[in-house]
Amino acid sequence: MQSVIETRNLVKKFKDVVAVDSVSFKVYRNEIYGLLGPNGAGKTTTINILITLLKPTSGEAYIEGIDVVKKPAEVRKRIGVVFQDPTLDMFLTAYENMYIHGRIYGLSGKELEKRIYELLDFVDLKQYANKVVRYFSGGMRRRLEIARALIHEPAILFLDEPTVGLDPQTRNKVWEYIMRIRKEKEITILMTTHYMDEAEMLCDRIAIMDHGKIIAEGTADYLKSLIGSDIIIVRFQEQRNICLEPGNGIISCKEIVGGGVELVVRDATKILPKIFEEYEARGISIAEISYRRPSLNEVFLHLTGRELRDSLEDTPRPTRRWR
Amino acid sequence: MSNYFNAFYTMIYRQIRRFIRARSRVVVSIVQPILWIILFGMGMGGVFSFSNPMIDQFIRQQFGGLDYVTFLATGIISMSVFIGSFISGISVIFDKQFGFLKETLVAPSPRAFVLLGRAVGDSIVILLNSTIIMALSFLIAKGLRVEGVPVAIAYGFLLSIGFSSLGIAIATKMNSMEGFQMLMNLLVMPLQFLSGIFFPLQRMPEWMQLIARANPLTYAVDGIRYWLTGVSEFDPLLDMILLSTLSLIFIVIAIITFERATIED
Repeated sequence: MQSVIETRNLVKKFKDVVAVDSVSFKVYRNEIYGLLGPNGAGKTTTINILITLLKPTSGEAYIEGIDVVKKPAEVRKRIGVVFQDPTLDMFLTAYENMYIHGRIYGLSGKELEKRIYELLDFVDLKQYANKVVRYFSGGMRRRLEIARALIHEPAILFLDEPTVGLDPQTRNKVWEYIMRIRKEKEITILMTTHYMDEAEMLCDRIAIMDHGKIIAEGTADYLKSLIGSDIIIVRFQEQRNICLEPGNGIISCKEIVGGGVELVVRDATKILPKIFEEYEARGISIAEISYRRPSLNEVFLHLTGRELRDSLEDTPRPTRRWR
Repeated sequence: MSNYFNAFYTMIYRQIRRFIRARSRVVVSIVQPILWIILFGMGMGGVFSFSNPMIDQFIRQQFGGLDYVTFLATGIISMSVFIGSFISGISVIFDKQFGFLKETLVAPSPRAFVLLGRAVGDSIVILLNSTIIMALSFLIAKGLRVEGVPVAIAYGFLLSIGFSSLGIAIATKMNSMEGFQMLMNLLVMPLQFLSGIFFPLQRMPEWMQLIARANPLTYAVDGIRYWLTGVSEFDPLLDMILLSTLSLIFIVIAIITFERATIED
């Protein structure tokens, strides 16, 4: 499959500091690819190289097969960028911000006007089109930036920490827009984040970065399976606690306080049906079964021996339940 | 090709739009030069009038035959263009801090055009301002001629585009607004005294004259003064040529600086 974004052994040094250390990855068409890692891991530097704002110290980077160092102008035509820090003109209105961006990218007249209103509508800012951006809330500004980045219909959208500094409701809203963009538009998205829940929610594939290196890459499920153990909790109709013997993917089993058993298993998705069968064969009816997967935080901990810094929010572990 | 001009026009539009939004800036940038003409011009003008036709005649000769208020007014008009243009580079630092600069750096149009659009946009705004100042100074200074106004504005444009570019070049290399403002104050003060705004070049000490002759502002002041009053120290055509050359050099410096700008600056 042809890759839309590709880097090969990308290195960027700032004086003595190696910000990006031999990073290679590929992003395919219509995929949302996430760079996940703590602040200072080299995510933004990687993006800045890809969007032609920084020159790599060594290595190569391609956008739709075009070398970002050799043909920056060609690359710039194909990309839309939402920077980590706001880049709006605070003294102009939402419409004027959109208009200027559109004009710089070669749109004009009725067509531009139509696109501006369409996109402002898309991010629910149409009624604020003629308000000066200085008076916008953080969430509104972010939405406006997302709309602005889409105006020239880029093939690739770069989102650098799209929800940093936003309150939970606004974050959810921004996630919704990102998911809508991917559903409604033919677009490839490369995003960075240090929020695990965000990466898990939005990204098809995630690269975990730390100290300038990609230390693991894959789907959220794949990354979690690197840890190799899920936890299954089973509760029974009768007040009896019956353990299953270890083996066959079950690592251990113990009774838990308040009734039921806890099984540590290698891969819950595969083992769950077996557990159902096993208990059925023994004539024990299950009242409730739930399983917990290790979160990306545990994956990070597992890979680096450290907690994912800066992600202070207490993200609830995703819990799936069947009754 | 059309891509190039998109950035150019758009930046002009943007700089003008921003200025219209900042109404306080409009008022201050008009009121201040007018205050100079009235307070300094009339105050100093008093020093130079002796109610003795012989002495007054002699003193007028020092100012090319103009009364001091008229002499100063033409200088202050040039000064308003000069300071306005030089200081306008601060919007680059503003854009750096508020991130808009990055937005123009990832745009697909050549940066030279982004820069020129910026400089031209600022120049248009500044000249609109200066035209108002010019109109108001007609009420204060008696020796001004209306016929020369359009040509004076053309000189003003050359001056403005040169110093806007230089201001942008300096700002591209700087990160703090305070630092930029301090540097500007440091540069503006000597440049305005070494340009014939307040007193004619020929009465300056030799070494001052030498520096003044290398100052683009000198030729703008002289050219604008010629077209507004008919009095000048140099040939106005020479003014035009030297002013264009020096402005062009500033533009080239700015383009090179801006072209090389990365976010590491």
